[in-house]
Amino acid sequence: MTTVVNKSKTAPSRKKTTRKASADPVTQDSHVHEVLIVGAGFGGLGTALRLQQDGIRDLVILERADEIGGTWRDNTYPGAACDIPSNLYSFSFAPNPDWSRSFSGSGEILQYVHYLADSFNLRRLVRFNQDVTGLEYNEREGVWTASTAAGETFRGRSVVMAQGPLSNPGLPKIEGIDSFKGKTVHSARWDHDYDFTGKRVAVIGTGASAVQIVPELVRQAAKLKVFQRTPGWVLPKPDFATPDWNRVLFRKVPASQAAVRKALYLGHESVALGIVWNSPLTRVVEKVAEAHLNAQVKDPWMRRQLKPDFRIGCKRVLMSSDYYPALQKDNCELITWPIAKISENGIRTAEGIEHQFDCIVFATGFDISNAGTPFPVRGVDGRELGSEWQRGAQAYKSINVSGYPNLHMTFGPNSGPGHNSALVYMESQIEYILKAVRVLRSLEIKALDVKLHVQARHNREIQKRLAKTNWNSGCKSWYLTEEGFNATMYPGFATQYARQMASLNLRDYALIRT
Amino acid sequence: MANIDLDKMLEKIKGSQWALADIDWDAPGADRISAEQWPKLKAFMSDLMWIEHVGARGFAAMAKKAPTDTLREIYTYFHAEEQRHANAEMALMRRWGMLDGDELPEPNINLRLTIEWLDRYSDDMPLEVPGSVIPMLEIALDGALLKFLLEEVDDPLCHEVFEKINADEARHLGVDFHVMEMLGRGRLHQLAVKTIGTVANPKLILGVLAYAPLLNKMRDNIVAMGLKEERLYEAMNKYERIGGRTEEGRRNPWFQIISQHGKMVVNRSHPYHVPVDALVKLTGYIPSRVVGPVPTWVRGLTWRTTA
Ligand SMILES: Cc1cc2nc3c(=O)[nH]c(=O)nc-3n(C[C@H](O)[C@H](O)[C@H](O)COP(=O)(O)OP(=O)(O)OC[C@H]3O[C@@H](n4cnc5c(N)ncnc54)[C@H](O)[C@@H]3O)c2cc1C
Ligand SMILES: [Fe+2]
Repeated sequence: MTTVVNKSKTAPSRKKTTRKASADPVTQDSHVHEVLIVGAGFGGLGTALRLQQDGIRDLVILERADEIGGTWRDNTYPGAACDIPSNLYSFSFAPNPDWSRSFSGSGEILQYVHYLADSFNLRRLVRFNQDVTGLEYNEREGVWTASTAAGETFRGRSVVMAQGPLSNPGLPKIEGIDSFKGKTVHSARWDHDYDFTGKRVAVIGTGASAVQIVPELVRQAAKLKVFQRTPGWVLPKPDFATPDWNRVLFRKVPASQAAVRKALYLGHESVALGIVWNSPLTRVVEKVAEAHLNAQVKDPWMRRQLKPDFRIGCKRVLMSSDYYPALQKDNCELITWPIAKISENGIRTAEGIEHQFDCIVFATGFDISNAGTPFPVRGVDGRELGSEWQRGAQAYKSINVSGYPNLHMTFGPNSGPGHNSALVYMESQIEYILKAVRVLRSLEIKALDVKLHVQARHNREIQKRLAKTNWNSGCKSWYLTEEGFNATMYPGFATQYARQMASLNLRDYALIRT
Repeated sequence: MANIDLDKMLEKIKGSQWALADIDWDAPGADRISAEQWPKLKAFMSDLMWIEHVGARGFAAMAKKAPTDTLREIYTYFHAEEQRHANAEMALMRRWGMLDGDELPEPNINLRLTIEWLDRYSDDMPLEVPGSVIPMLEIALDGALLKFLLEEVDDPLCHEVFEKINADEARHLGVDFHVMEMLGRGRLHQLAVKTIGTVANPKLILGVLAYAPLLNKMRDNIVAMGLKEERLYEAMNKYERIGGRTEEGRRNPWFQIISQHGKMVVNRSHPYHVPVDALVKLTGYIPSRVVGPVPTWVRGLTWRTTA
């Protein structure tokens, strides 16, 4: 088995691979590909990889950037890493025995993506610098057309939307945000040329990215101020370097790695009991997080500032063992005053003081399209998905939408893992897509369109189950729409999700032949 | 003022933010403080600034108890705004040469005790307690004291600053009284049961032991400044008038307790004053080192416009 060669723990070289696609003149690609994929992250590449293995080779992947990798290409901020153990945050069909740490950094995960692309020969399928601006279905032909910002069009029988759930950086709505004269950086668009040494730096946001950035920046910046609106629950992160014997073992006995993966999987599944639903375990996990806070923070006022008011699991649970200590360094300050505005020289908070900075880091997450789509998607009869989803997104099994035949999505509505690896969920989605594409071939039909009443029944069920989860227990989070509708998370165990995705039942679909 | 729309109020609060940097602290007029006024004003401002703190800490506790996200956010702003008032008052003191370097004004012992109590126990109290006491402190101490100040002090910048502070306080009071009415809306016997449970709570008794002498002490301070104590009482009566405007407001048992207490305070011949004045005297003997360390959030106080 081929594996990732790189063992270094340093940041990867951001190599620019040679490619042909972007050099092509602007042409209209009138050929109808069997599958057209949007996005070259884990989702898009994984789908292509499995389709190819299944003998489906007429594929095209449209990627707006000039490189593959998605999340892990974009999130290269200092400290960027995965919160899920690497052995679980990888594809089971392409294991990597060489993970250097229990939780890998962003660079190493990106190398794994490169390894997938290189060893399965996927790069040639990717058209780079193709920012998809719309998808449209032609009912008569049964063909999807993707238009891109470059003015090109691509056609496909089936289409997979794998543009990523967290790929568009989001800035907070703060008055005067454009008036700041210093440097601004978003966590997902890090500027590696900017030297933070000796600078006065602000970090806005205290979510998953911030708890990773803060311990790194505090080492460089002269002064670091962290602006918090709502504190999250933080669990310690048991991050350690993989011992050599471990790698040798995984290499020689691949089954041992599969066993470890299985154990990790079950471990995360059991945590769902505490995180997803309000069970006795919820209090236990809360107690662990609280003990972690109390052990690391002695000052009562700071503890109070850092202690969440909401039930654990309601928002994404943070993992870090060095965030709390970093906040207490002499050159660091936690600011919990509401931000009033951003001025030329800094941030004015409601206690009346202007905090002045050389640089503001926005660790403010992403624009989430849980009530809309990132670009217009037109289906049968000119219907438009974004407007249908205005009050909250809905799909069948998170993957198909009635009225949009042969359109599939990874990380569609209610597919979100709250407690387990996104890639575990993604594998189920990919296998489902494979089945759908195969059905078109074997039955020689034009399209599969999920029946509306089947989709409605599915969503009633999902929302009923969601009502009982912690996400819907009353706190604001990016999981919910403005109106509090949960279009994001899957209310259950990964195992249940996998079972839901395991079979494609033809009775749920209208088979379109002509 | 009754039944305000809290969502609109939150928007209004967000739209009314101001900063110390908006004010020219070196503008002319600082010399209008007379030599005779100066020491009294210094003591007065020190107390005032710490009263803002009592409000601040109260709102911080209320934010944790707020029944809705909107109210939580409003209280979070109010907490910060009280701190802003304290910061602005320190900047005035600094302008008048009453502060050296980063030194903080000394609060009187009754304020220390109240702050200490708030810091230890207010997070454990149901919303009804700070929700009914803080309005009294705001209307009586904050509101009345500010009025005196404006009558006494000629410095135009002082007026400019307190115009801003007063505008904030008006919003605070609007929400305070709205919430008091909201809290009176439950079933009467439930309100009573809950109240009795809290009244018997020893933590609350400690709070009363801090709060009662504080009012009397402030009365003494006001008199010492040559002002009429009736002005304080007028303000306290306002609490009863506004808070008792509606049926719901009157049904709030905590409103009843606080306003009954207020009546005793304003009646100088009431026997209430015998033990409480004694307490004021007694607390005067407490050396400040036994009160326990100042909470770390006090370090955030500053007269500097930028940090
Ligand atoms: C900082 C961070 C930490 C995370 N940590 C974890 C974790 O610990 N565990 C976990 O399970 N998950 C984690 N995730 C979630 C992570 O996003 C998923 O695990 C996974 O990487 C998603 O892969 P994807 O292919 O669906 O999307 P992405 O990786 O986002 O890839 C989408 C691709 O589509 C491209 N694209 C987007 N829009 C267009 C368009 N209009 N046209 C053309 N191309 C487009 C993008 O450029 C990108 O290359 C994390 C995410 C972030 C941001
Ligand atoms: Fe005040």
